[in-house]
Amino acid sequence: MAKILEVREVQKSYQIGKIVVPALRGVSFDVEEGEVLAIFGPSGSGKSTLLHLMGGLDRPDSGEIVVDGDSLQKLPDDALAELRLSKIGFVFQFFNLLPRLTALRNVELPLTIAGTPEKQGLEKAASLLKLMGLEARMHHRPFELSGGEQQRVAMARALVNNPKIVLADEPTGNLDTKTGWEIVQLMQKLNKEKGQTFVIITHDPHVAETADRMIFLKDGLVEAVKEAPRRNTQ
Amino acid sequence: MKISRIISIAWENMKQRRLRTSFTTLGVVIGITAIIGLASLGEGFRLEIRDRMQQGFELDILIVIPGSFTTGLGEFEPQEVSRVRNVSGAASVTPLITLPRTRLLNEEDEPLNALTVAGVNFKEMAQMLPERLAPLEGSVPSPEENNTVVLGYKACFLNESTRLVNVGDNVTVQFGAAPYNVTKKLKVAAILEKSGTSGITNFDYWAFMPANTTFNLVKREVYNIILVKVADIEESEEVGRNVEAVFDNPYSVSVLVPLAFMRQVDRILNIVQIFLMSIASISLLVAGIGIMNIMTVSVMERTREIGILKAIGAKSRTVLTMFLAEAMLIGLIGGLIGMLTGYGISYGFAYGLSNLIQSQQSSEVAYRTQNPERLSINPVFSPEWTVIAFVFAIVICVVFGLYPARKAAKLDPVNALRYE
Ligand SMILES: Nc1ncnc2c1ncn2[C@@H]1O[C@H](COP(=O)(O)OP(=O)(O)OP(=O)(O)O)[C@@H](O)[C@H]1O
Ligand SMILES: [Mg+2]
Repeated sequence: MAKILEVREVQKSYQIGKIVVPALRGVSFDVEEGEVLAIFGPSGSGKSTLLHLMGGLDRPDSGEIVVDGDSLQKLPDDALAELRLSKIGFVFQFFNLLPRLTALRNVELPLTIAGTPEKQGLEKAASLLKLMGLEARMHHRPFELSGGEQQRVAMARALVNNPKIVLADEPTGNLDTKTGWEIVQLMQKLNKEKGQTFVIITHDPHVAETADRMIFLKDGLVEAVKEAPRRNTQ
Repeated sequence: MKISRIISIAWENMKQRRLRTSFTTLGVVIGITAIIGLASLGEGFRLEIRDRMQQGFELDILIVIPGSFTTGLGEFEPQEVSRVRNVSGAASVTPLITLPRTRLLNEEDEPLNALTVAGVNFKEMAQMLPERLAPLEGSVPSPEENNTVVLGYKACFLNESTRLVNVGDNVTVQFGAAPYNVTKKLKVAAILEKSGTSGITNFDYWAFMPANTTFNLVKREVYNIILVKVADIEESEEVGRNVEAVFDNPYSVSVLVPLAFMRQVDRILNIVQIFLMSIASISLLVAGIGIMNIMTVSVMERTREIGILKAIGAKSRTVLTMFLAEAMLIGLIGGLIGMLTGYGISYGFAYGLSNLIQSQQSSEVAYRTQNPERLSINPVFSPEWTVIAFVFAIVICVVFGLYPARKAAKLDPVNALRYE
């Protein structure tokens, strides 16, 4: 299987005043096209930091990240924005929808940024919301939606530009177990039906176990990589 | 991202914060109102002054005198006059001769109040200055009659109650220094209306006789003033140069161009207006600082939103443009409203002002003239000023919006997403 994303010896630390906090201390792994990869680990282990670097939202102190053949460190900021727009879809724990826009407009936003004509963009956004089972909620604003619904809107937004890879940072973290499970199922379904690549950060072992592969992160280092038994039998 | 979409998103954002947007815009409205109001009133004021000067001073008439300060006064030969008549840009030309050391005596041998005695061509003079040669009594002889005289109003009075001469009376003209007086008897043909102005063409103390009559007195056919009425007042200076050019020695004539005087007044008014408008512009600057202030707060409030936009792929430039578009829209709307209120206020102000001046004047004893003395300022709609003020509003808003917009554009997406 082709590598869609490579992480090579990535280090990142934060400076708070005079104290340097190492968040990642040399992390390496690959993400293969079409897989669901879970990144699992305790709070503060550097999961979010890693996800931001993988999506080109931030730059590592050292090491290399390659997305779909492009080494990110060589790309200027505008090219990183371009990459986020065309190849990456983000899903966040706190949904991060724009509160003043309707669900439909939130989903259309990446297409707006990409310069897609409004009519076409709205059609595409509507079809994705439909896929997420939110037909009846299209013209609602985020505060009129439940957490699960908001997260599905965020999923639709992440997918609207047909990204190569969806990076989800604790997508179930702010949902009850049942609703969280629905979101996980939805991602599985999209993965099976469309071959969409997912990287899901979680500290819920049940969620992690649904993935094809699991990476254990601890104190900024990869402690273990575990293949799902389901995958081995395939 | 398409600029039209950016603008419509900016517009949506502004609508969501209606109250805040209105207050920010108000500053721009006030600034533009002040600028437009002052520009249109000032221009109206200037035009009114110009108009009055034109009426009072016959600004379209050049006065040509032989000689200069250095060569001393001289005379014009008839052929020089006819050359001036052919100058391009001259609508009409008439020569005069003023007589030095000349007295007019009434039938009782009392001297009249005529300070200047001149020989003129009545027909040409009346054509060039119809209002100045309007008779109060009698009529200006046409065709010319030798040995007649037309008197200015005040030339006929010793003081307000003592009249020295009437139409039909004979007067004696004495020319030259005593005892070599050349004398001649003239008949008073007309007395002119009182002049309403104090300009160069105030003929209240003048006495006019036909040029031929003066030639008989001085025994020569010469002139010493040529009046040239220009076809287009704006070309006064050029016509003046044309006049100089017809003389063998252009340095031997002086051409007085009254327009030059008015231009100076115009320049002064201009300076005053620019001064007032720069003060008005300060209010626009204050509005700009208000925009900067409010947009900076707005950027802080919308930090998370900016982070989201960047995370899903908006470039820094797009974020910058979004905020600048808001600033620009404020300038656009503020400019438009300010323009309307600016013109509205200046028309209202002008109306009030002319009423005020009118009521003040009615209590004074009005000078008797053909045009009632009434100051009416008509505000002028100037397309240039409108465009300048409008562009100025937008530029100020964009310039002051630049700082907060750059702040927004430079936000680090990861930190922005963390921002609560
Ligand atoms: N902007 C920042 N400034 C300073 N320190 C930071 C910053 N972001 C992260 N850190 C630190 O880096 C380390 C890793 O943080 P990160 O958010 O990646 O952890 P995480 O695995 O996502 O944790 P959680 O499961 O709680 O979300 C932590 O110690 C955190 O305090
Ligand atoms: Mg995290």
